[in-house]
Amino acid sequence: MVVEIGLGTALGAIGAGVAVGMACLGSGIGQGIAAAGSVGAVAEDPDMFARGLIFTALPETQAIYGFLIAILLLVFSGIMGGGAGLSVTAGLVAIGAGSAVGFAGLGSGMGQGITASSAAGAVVEDPDMFARGIIFTAISETQAIYGFLIAILLLVFGGIL
Amino acid sequence: MVDSITTIITTLGFPSVEAFIAALFLVLAVVAVIVVVSTIKPVLNMFPYTYPNARVRARTGRLFTEKEFSEIVEAENIEEIKNYLRGVPDYAKYIDQYPLEKALDSQLAESYDLIARITPDNSKEVFNFLLKKWDIRNIKSIIIAKQANLNLNETLNLIVPFGALTDKLDSLIEADNVTEVINGLEGTEYPKILEDVISTYNETGLLLPLESALDKYLLENLLRSAATPEDDNTSLLHNYIGTMVDVANIKIILRAKTYNLKYDDIESYMISDGYQIREWKLKELMEAEDVASVISSLEGTSYAPMLSDAMTEYTETRSMSSFEKALDNHVFNTAKTISLKNQFGIGPMIGFLNKKEREIRNLKTIARGKREEGFSPSMIKEMLI
Repeated sequence: MVVEIGLGTALGAIGAGVAVGMACLGSGIGQGIAAAGSVGAVAEDPDMFARGLIFTALPETQAIYGFLIAILLLVFSGIMGGGAGLSVTAGLVAIGAGSAVGFAGLGSGMGQGITASSAAGAVVEDPDMFARGIIFTAISETQAIYGFLIAILLLVFGGIL
Repeated sequence: MVDSITTIITTLGFPSVEAFIAALFLVLAVVAVIVVVSTIKPVLNMFPYTYPNARVRARTGRLFTEKEFSEIVEAENIEEIKNYLRGVPDYAKYIDQYPLEKALDSQLAESYDLIARITPDNSKEVFNFLLKKWDIRNIKSIIIAKQANLNLNETLNLIVPFGALTDKLDSLIEADNVTEVINGLEGTEYPKILEDVISTYNETGLLLPLESALDKYLLENLLRSAATPEDDNTSLLHNYIGTMVDVANIKIILRAKTYNLKYDDIESYMISDGYQIREWKLKELMEAEDVASVISSLEGTSYAPMLSDAMTEYTETRSMSSFEKALDNHVFNTAKTISLKNQFGIGPMIGFLNKKEREIRNLKTIARGKREEGFSPSMIKEMLI
């Protein structure tokens, strides 16, 4: 089904693209770094596989936040589901929301990847470091949560949701 | 409100609101690209080191702690040390295969080999060159064995099965004398290095010129391979290698001065350039009258304070060991500083290699202590570094 897309809706689509694109960029780089570190740890100690997998999975969340905001934008801008399109002002709000979750996810994902890789190294060096490694790695999640929250608030109070 | 925004946009020279939004996007897109690229670049520089660093940290975690060293020192004899090492997977594979010292050296060589294999491309050349240390060590062991008329098995016990010459080792070991060993190296870079000093060996029968030419070749080329740093990581590697070279030069000069040797006697053994101690400074040090003058000439370098402290002990004992210990500690501390300063780059690899060297040296010290008569565990403990 082809939807008639106005300028506001097109802006909403850009917002969705920025949300998922930037968040996945950060998450992908972060996960790559974490995975490289975990593979190194597993190469030395095969028992590290499960713990390495956990550290590698942690930077995935940023991509999920971005993906969620992008889906909401696609649904409520009328691209998916055939609802009413967005006004130009609402479209700009959508870009704000997408940028919030996208850029927050970019920084948070990369940061979390570096910490996760380092934590995998620390755990293989000293297995007692696992819990503390998880805590340190989870701290980088907060920036992504701020971005996600602001994106939701923008969508709610900007009249999109 | 909308009208007034439209008026402002028109006053700015944009034909419509859409055109203004398009221009705004273009500017924001450019800013976003700059932000993203400048954020990602340093992260991507760390990326090649994440895999090797995790492996190296795993091995760092397996290094012996002080408590474990205390347990090893308490061993009754060599066999007990071997039993202890059989329980450590890193050593177990070599312990039953080789005599203790060869097993320890093989483990150390394996660590160098691992680092050379997994290190990122920009530092590969230096670590690959560092691997030549084992070739050079093997050549030196073989020529010493030939000079001392050791039999095949005794010679084999001195050989570490690592390095680029492993295929040639059998034929080198079977050579009848030192000259044949050097001839057997044909096709490698080593005969060329030894050609200038072989005549000295033929005249005097002393191995020192041959050994020193090989050591000099290794350190000079190691420093050269690290001398053009591309980034922070290679610059720190240059610092580490440079410190090793400086320390080697200072040790040669100090040892020479304890025997009152002059410039001409020392010059041929020196690595021609250093890191902190450049060529002109080396000349000044070689021309110094005695040990005290060498140390005062080093004023202004990072080596001066520790050597001045060691001077007191030297004055009392006349033993070089105080200087050697201080300089070895300096190399260790340099590696430690680098490993702490650069945790996401080359730091952990340098830190690990240095700690591993220390571990092997300590294990050898313990083994020697157990072989010799009259060394109590507390005496051996004092000798550990």
